[in-house]
Amino acid sequence: MSAKIIDGKAFAATVREKVAAHVATLKAEHDITPGLAVVLAGEDPASQVYVRNKGKQTIEAGMNSFEHKLDASVSETDLLALIDQLNSDPAVHGILCQLPLPDHLNEDLVINSIDPAKDVDGFHISNVGLLGTGQKSMVPCTPLGCLMMLRDHLGSLSGKSAVVVGRSNIVGKPMANLLLKDSCTVTIAHSRTKDIEDVCRAADILVAAVGRPEMITGDWVKEGATVIDVGINRIPAPERGEGKMRLAGDVHFESAAEKAGAITPVPGGVGPMTIACLLANTLTACCRANGLSEPEGLTA
Amino acid sequence: MKDNRLLDGRAVQARILDEVSAYTAEASARQPLGRLVSISIGDIPEVAVYIRNQARAAERAGLPFAQEFWPANISYDACKQRILDMNDDADVLGIIIQRPVPEHINVRSLQSAIHPLKDVEGMNPASIGNIVYNDVALAPCTAAASVELIKETGLDLKGLEVVMVGHSEIVGKPAAFLLMAEGATVTVCHHMTRSVAMHSRRADVVIVAVGKPHFLGADMVKPGAAVIDIGINQRVADDGTVSIVGDVDTDAVKEIASWITPVPGGVGPVTVGVLMRNAVVAHQRQIAAGWL
Repeated sequence: MSAKIIDGKAFAATVREKVAAHVATLKAEHDITPGLAVVLAGEDPASQVYVRNKGKQTIEAGMNSFEHKLDASVSETDLLALIDQLNSDPAVHGILCQLPLPDHLNEDLVINSIDPAKDVDGFHISNVGLLGTGQKSMVPCTPLGCLMMLRDHLGSLSGKSAVVVGRSNIVGKPMANLLLKDSCTVTIAHSRTKDIEDVCRAADILVAAVGRPEMITGDWVKEGATVIDVGINRIPAPERGEGKMRLAGDVHFESAAEKAGAITPVPGGVGPMTIACLLANTLTACCRANGLSEPEGLTA
Repeated sequence: MKDNRLLDGRAVQARILDEVSAYTAEASARQPLGRLVSISIGDIPEVAVYIRNQARAAERAGLPFAQEFWPANISYDACKQRILDMNDDADVLGIIIQRPVPEHINVRSLQSAIHPLKDVEGMNPASIGNIVYNDVALAPCTAAASVELIKETGLDLKGLEVVMVGHSEIVGKPAAFLLMAEGATVTVCHHMTRSVAMHSRRADVVIVAVGKPHFLGADMVKPGAAVIDIGINQRVADDGTVSIVGDVDTDAVKEIASWITPVPGGVGPVTVGVLMRNAVVAHQRQIAAGWL
């Protein structure tokens, strides 16, 4: 194996430190504390873990965390009323509505009722459009984390050929827009793409976000490419005993690491960056709301 | 003799306008249609021809069209207020801001002030956001016109390799997302791309929007590909005659490509057609929203 392993856990820790340092300065110089409100409807166990982690890390970064746990049967009217209240609360700079919502709630409607300036997930239709037109916006956390890692590893991305595999709304498309903004030549490959191996082999930067375990093998990877694996898939691991499972990315790590110049592992790669970027976005939203300059190195 | 390699934008426009006028005839029988308002700020001679083309198409499509000319020294705030008033005016169906605008006016902010349901140019960030999320009914006109012309070739967009040269916010990027929504594999190239030819030579379709006369030559195109030329460049010959040329060296590329859009008479007329079709979409959405 020759590739450098990009340690997402360590890098996320440095991002959180940067956020915490900036938060401390905001408090000391302006008496402002950024606040993140997380809304959780229902009792999905995975969502509960996420929300708990988010709350914990928000407080560790010195910010205020406001958790709103609602019954799974909450009415759309009540949920919208809560969001409305958070929109107008000056202590709340970021609002995150944990997805998925219970089936009877219209996700688009709920997300688009969040004030775009407080939409720290970057899913509001206006933020999507602002990013799509190269304007200042709130950027979805996972692709923002990937971008930070790429910049950290490569410096300038300008002129590089980037291939994003997967065209999801939350990763693939915003990732493509971010890479374009950094002047990469960008291809989005997906299930319909012909000769997808060839397309990937042309990439200096390969971002995998398809949700198919170990689909991208070493022979898809150009010598020396930087490979970012966004996939988190749970697959059977009989070698660890009967019925055991393990986490796998969209990239077949061992073979890809033979070819790549650098690669993110799963777990411990992109994953830890997502919450770190959520904190960064909350800080950014707070700075913008107060007319202060944005934190350096923490935005797109 | 008609050259079948040339994609006839005027014919496509005529077809779109026929569809629109069928709709407007029926809709206006129920209730008079609001007007499309074209706003020009300052005296910008090059927009006159655009407005004339739009006015002509609107007339053919049965859409009321009003032209407003605002003084060059009007403030941004005044512009914005007038647009907000039009948002509230049920007799205004859609709003068009002719570009360029004077330097002190931030055109992006003005476009954001247009209500998404009146945004017939598809330039509001919310309209762009919808496109990214695959709701492509109300798209920026030039980008949508490119897609319309690709469909005209009969090529199946699913799995088609498309190279978009130029990543502007009004054409390149929205066109990329429209095509992606149709299942194409899209590569976006631009001025920082190391070798555009390396990408364009493998494409089934090449779209060029760079604003450089004859940028795309025959050596950059795969035999049998389709080429969509969005450029409109003025060229002054040695004898002083002025001509309009695209970003593609049409005569040379025509010998290699299977389809190519001429300039003029290609993307331009279709863009105007799409603008009128967007007005229909706006009308339908305003009805659905209970405005009309």
